[in-house]
Amino acid sequence: MTSTGRAPAPPAHAADLERSIARLLTFGTFASMGLLVVGFVLMLANGIGPLSGGPAFDPSTLVPDLVALRPAGFLWLGLIAAVATPAARVLASLVGYVRRGERAMAIVATLILAVIALSLALARGLEG
Amino acid sequence: MIDGLLMVGGGIAAGLFGSLLGLGGGTLIVPILTLGFGLALIKAVGVSLVCVIVTSGAASGVYLERRVANLRLGMTLELFTACGALIGGLVAFLLPERVVQLLFGGLLVYVSLTMVRRREPDPVPDDGESRDGSDRVDGTSAAANAAPSGDDSFVASLSGPGYRVRRLGFGAIGSVGAGVVSALLGIGGGTVKVPVMHVVMGIPLRVATATSNLMMGITASAGAVIYLLRGGIDPYVAGPTAIGVFIGASIGSRAAHRIDVRILRGLFVAILLYTAWQMLQRALA
Repeated sequence: MTSTGRAPAPPAHAADLERSIARLLTFGTFASMGLLVVGFVLMLANGIGPLSGGPAFDPSTLVPDLVALRPAGFLWLGLIAAVATPAARVLASLVGYVRRGERAMAIVATLILAVIALSLALARGLEG
Repeated sequence: MIDGLLMVGGGIAAGLFGSLLGLGGGTLIVPILTLGFGLALIKAVGVSLVCVIVTSGAASGVYLERRVANLRLGMTLELFTACGALIGGLVAFLLPERVVQLLFGGLLVYVSLTMVRRREPDPVPDDGESRDGSDRVDGTSAAANAAPSGDDSFVASLSGPGYRVRRLGFGAIGSVGAGVVSALLGIGGGTVKVPVMHVVMGIPLRVATATSNLMMGITASAGAVIYLLRGGIDPYVAGPTAIGVFIGASIGSRAAHRIDVRILRGLFVAILLYTAWQMLQRALA
């Protein structure tokens, strides 16, 4: 057999899952980068320096900021897209494992999402 | 405006060095932002975590497409790194800045020493044996996605072609530690995860590096959520820095095979040691 750390061709459904996840990661990364670039260009256009102190994250201002083409809206959306992409990858894996009837991996994926949710809840709790 | 472009430049340098030397960008981002731009350490760590997520997302997409990263093993271990990151993210807001500076200075010294001692990676065994030759596994039956013929235990299902996962418990403990360090210091945690996977768990270096890269996304994400909601991420700093890191890492991954990494490594070690000295001086002042 040959073994160079590269897996042999897995069954089609497994390869499909990994390919889908890979595409999701690439798309999420490029989408967040695109939003960050727009935000940065708007920063430069408005003469905003990076050390001037950016606004704190406030979900209620996100849409108005985007509509008004304010840099903070695009930057926050890009940052959220970046932070959410790995969780989206786990969610996609969960769906894939459930479809394939792989209970153990489905439980692992669910637990990871639970830890992320706990992070969110604790951060929100401490914030308040 | 100049500061913004300088931040992009700093990000490019961090991403480039990190990519060429297999470190990820986090190790340099925090010193650049704190020592170079006077940013508070906690905010620099938050920004660095975003950069880690971005570089992980771009690289692990490629690793998965090429089937180098072990998705099942990565997901199993990242459950523990995420737990560690949750703890680290919460602790980071309780620790005095000096303590974090001291820890970061120590981390930089550790990374420098590791790089000085590092040899070129050994080629992954081509004969179906793990590093010590004790775990010969038939790749066709051990492959995670193969039909569960015979050995259908969970640990066996995490194994890959030519290697069998060993000591999952140690791997889990190491992963929790990597998660704490990641969220506390804004790094990907590869400096902890790769040695644990390779040396302790018997995973080939190439697979360990790719899988660690995949895991960094969730690890950093679990920590970044806390920083984001607790005001630890400044969008005006995170934006240009992440753009720079992404550009630098993209250039680095394409140029890696054309550059003599030994000279670069020497330069990098010197920079890291100088930075560690600056950090430790601040912490102990």
